[in-house]
Amino acid sequence: MTEPVNNRLRVELSQLVGENGILHDDQDNLYGVDDLLPKAVTLPDSVGEIRDVLNYAADNKLSVIPAGSGTKLGIGNPPERVDLVVSTLGLNEVLEYEPGDLTATVQSGVRLADLQAKLAENGQCLPFDPPYLNRATLGGIVAANSSGPSSLYYGNSRNRVLGMQLVQSNGAAVKCGGKVVKNVAGYDLNKLYIGSFGTLGIITEITFKLNPLPEVERTMLITFKSVTQASRAAIEIADSQLLPIFLNLIVGGAPSVDIVDPCLVIGIDGHHETVDWQMNQIRAAANLNDATGVEVKDGAYQRDVRTSMSAFPESNPQMVVCKAHLRMTDVEKFITAALDQCSDLLDLRVLGLIGNGVVYFAFSVPSADTASAKFASIVIAELRNHARNVGGNLIVESAPTSIKRHVDVWGEIGSSLKLMQQIKARLDPLNLFCPGRFVSGI
Amino acid sequence: MIEKNRITSELSDLVGAANVLTDSTALSVYECDGATLFKASPDIVVFAESTEHVSKIVRLANKFSVPFIARGGGTGLSGGMLPVNGGIIIALNRMDRILEIDVKNQRAVVEPGVVNLLLTQAVEDRGYYFAPDPSSQKACTIGGNIAENSGGPHTLKYGVTTDHVTGLEVVMPDGEIVEFGGYVEETPGYDLRGLMVGCEGTFGIVTKAIVRLTRKPQAYQTLLGVFETIDDASSAVSKIIGAGMIPAALEMMDSLVIKTVEEAFHWGFPLDAGAVLIVELDGISAGMRHQAEQITEIFNSHNCREIHRAKDETDRQNIWKSRKSAFGSFGRLAPSYITQDGVVPRTQLPKVLRRVAEISEKYSIPIANVFHAGDGNIHPVVLFDERDPDQCERVDAVNMEILTVCAEVGGTITGEHGIGVEKMDYMPLIYSPEDLLVMTTVRDIFNPSKLCNPGKIFPTTESYVKLGIESPTV
Ligand SMILES: Cc1cc2nc3c(=O)[nH]c(=O)nc-3n(C[C@H](O)[C@H](O)[C@H](O)COP(=O)(O)OP(=O)(O)OC[C@H]3O[C@@H](n4cnc5c(N)ncnc54)[C@H](O)[C@@H]3O)c2cc1C
Repeated sequence: MTEPVNNRLRVELSQLVGENGILHDDQDNLYGVDDLLPKAVTLPDSVGEIRDVLNYAADNKLSVIPAGSGTKLGIGNPPERVDLVVSTLGLNEVLEYEPGDLTATVQSGVRLADLQAKLAENGQCLPFDPPYLNRATLGGIVAANSSGPSSLYYGNSRNRVLGMQLVQSNGAAVKCGGKVVKNVAGYDLNKLYIGSFGTLGIITEITFKLNPLPEVERTMLITFKSVTQASRAAIEIADSQLLPIFLNLIVGGAPSVDIVDPCLVIGIDGHHETVDWQMNQIRAAANLNDATGVEVKDGAYQRDVRTSMSAFPESNPQMVVCKAHLRMTDVEKFITAALDQCSDLLDLRVLGLIGNGVVYFAFSVPSADTASAKFASIVIAELRNHARNVGGNLIVESAPTSIKRHVDVWGEIGSSLKLMQQIKARLDPLNLFCPGRFVSGI
Repeated sequence: MIEKNRITSELSDLVGAANVLTDSTALSVYECDGATLFKASPDIVVFAESTEHVSKIVRLANKFSVPFIARGGGTGLSGGMLPVNGGIIIALNRMDRILEIDVKNQRAVVEPGVVNLLLTQAVEDRGYYFAPDPSSQKACTIGGNIAENSGGPHTLKYGVTTDHVTGLEVVMPDGEIVEFGGYVEETPGYDLRGLMVGCEGTFGIVTKAIVRLTRKPQAYQTLLGVFETIDDASSAVSKIIGAGMIPAALEMMDSLVIKTVEEAFHWGFPLDAGAVLIVELDGISAGMRHQAEQITEIFNSHNCREIHRAKDETDRQNIWKSRKSAFGSFGRLAPSYITQDGVVPRTQLPKVLRRVAEISEKYSIPIANVFHAGDGNIHPVVLFDERDPDQCERVDAVNMEILTVCAEVGGTITGEHGIGVEKMDYMPLIYSPEDLLVMTTVRDIFNPSKLCNPGKIFPTTESYVKLGIESPTV
């Protein structure tokens, strides 16, 4: 039924962004959101084209979902409708990079992997390890504030974005922050856009604070008899003068076949002497907590382990992935309680980023019928209650659409919700961007 | 202020008469902050002792439509707490309790009036500290640090205040109490916690903060290098960063500062030195000496005349005292000074410092430099006599030229002191009217009546005239 309409849409859009600025319709499924396909996917390659597309969308009352490679479009409540996807893949240039400043300014469609390759030539990096390492764009990483397990030591976008430019729903290009490592001129609007999931504007340019590449990287795999012992060892390490890059607990679905769980996966990097000393200290902490095995990985194997850990939340589309934020000292209790409660769920997998107080909890649902969906939503509600009872929170990072229709993936917001709604209403008065997908229907 | 008597009496009913100041001698203490050049007297100062107090005071101010401004330690350097249109200052020094210390989860919950250094002292014996360390840390409050998003020498490695605050309780400009963020690392929704930090007290009054505690490093290596010229020292800075090191701190003092500090405190600096660099490494002891050696090599290849390596903790503390005492010695140089706070890309430091020296010469206004070199955060201290109108005029031109240079090389006009009243005229140097419109839109959501700390941050029509930029029509 919509075929002719969509054709007209494509023709009109191609006048704005050119034939090549529109994805061929058999590729639209790369940008599907939950079970809906967009009417068209545009790939503007300039700020001017983005403005034209947004003006067109506003005139034609079409909603817009900003995207990069589309790797995180699954995060959020199911949309009522999906009209246009505006992908930033056409904005793919590294604009400024001066190694001596340890900063880089890139267009938002640059893929992290491509930027890393360029930085590595100068012994530098942007120390993020998000899911979909090879495809994720920097705009998407910032908009979803997804930076991966290494944020324990290296921080996330909130600590590393120095400034950005974006196009607002009225087509105005604005900038916030700057290009230098310290800046308190005016409000820190970067924070508003980081983690806003495209609901306030389309990010076009970002300046990051970089890091030198470490001399040596090692990953330690330490197995334990119980979750309690593993967490105790982790907390001891977190409370010491050691400086792990990440400190992860795995229960179920270990990242590699030859690992038994529960196990701790610990990243260390830096000067080789520093790394050696830390490994010895970590071995000692492990032994004190009755570890059953300690292995040190480097090279390709280490890369695989790290990649699969970063990839944990991506899992497969049939899985429900929840992410809880807790106090570090509540992580063990949460995991134990959750495992107890969910022992009859399928494919249970837990990844705890202990130092960050984050727990990913994943399980799969046998079928897509309403009964399973309701059952899953009850499990999610109970897990969320656990988290809330100890002052934490829980979101559903991904789940089959049938399940999402029975839960609010974000949960309750609290006393600041009214301000969030006003911000959305004032900065996107037409409700152009991702309507209904963010917290409390924003 | 109209109805001052009625407001005073209602405030006294709320918090007790002893907590309300109205006589002009008492008020004169509150007419400026650390930027003493800017003065404006409040009509009333009221000391709050609880969140409920603050909320009630704010509601009262709303009822009478009078401006209200939070004040912590009063050490701000941009006139942030200045009651430009009079009104009520809400002093928070008495809300100074540390409510909770939880080192296992690396958090403390504090009231806003807690003095920065006292928090560190309270957790030190457990091996932790509060990382933001402004040089004013003996007097500034955590509420002030949050409002200004303050930095300090160690922000090079550890970040600024926003990186160390996870949750806030705020009395909003209408008196409502709202919580942002929390105890845990992230909360769903927009990061309004992040937006509150650095709002210079214009989005509401912080009454409680959940802050991060940082584990004290195992070891330090502190090196002090004496250089022939400031050019040598600043090239060494970008060389160190470019060589793949991120020291905990990288601070510079120029010849004028060295001389003044030496004459005041006798630390043993050579009086004819061009610049001094202080580099501090921290972290794990194993492997640290390699970095120290690398730094020594870089120093040597940049005409470093002598290198002093702190041999013990006392020695290290002395090096830091020499740095942190610098501001205390400027009184010897001139009756007044303004500290600029621009940030430039590190690789532009040599060029920018040369430009600052030229500007100083052009206007015959001495400028001393003591600053966070590793961040590219310069602090030209502009020295003058505020009783001399001619000097004041030249100082104004000096400030404008320095900030223009910072903007031109891709930097910013303030790295940690905030815009306040002092730099609002210069905002158009770095932000377009459209950029500023987003900020005022957000301000109007948080603070629709504009009674909460009015007259700050944003340029006026005169600002555009002063800069010779066409005034916006948006
Ligand atoms: C010698 C000296 C050295 C300094 N060194 C540094 C340095 O190294 N790095 C640095 O960043 N700064 C430095 N400063 C600047 C200053 O100390 C900081 O800006 C500090 O954070 C201000 O804290 P305060 O408690 O004194 O705030 P105040 O001066 O009392 O207030 C500053 C601003 O914060 C607002 N405010 C205060 N409390 C609250 C609250 N609870 N809620 C909302 N708003 C509030 C006020 O309204 C005002 O706008 C220095 C100042 C001096 C005098």
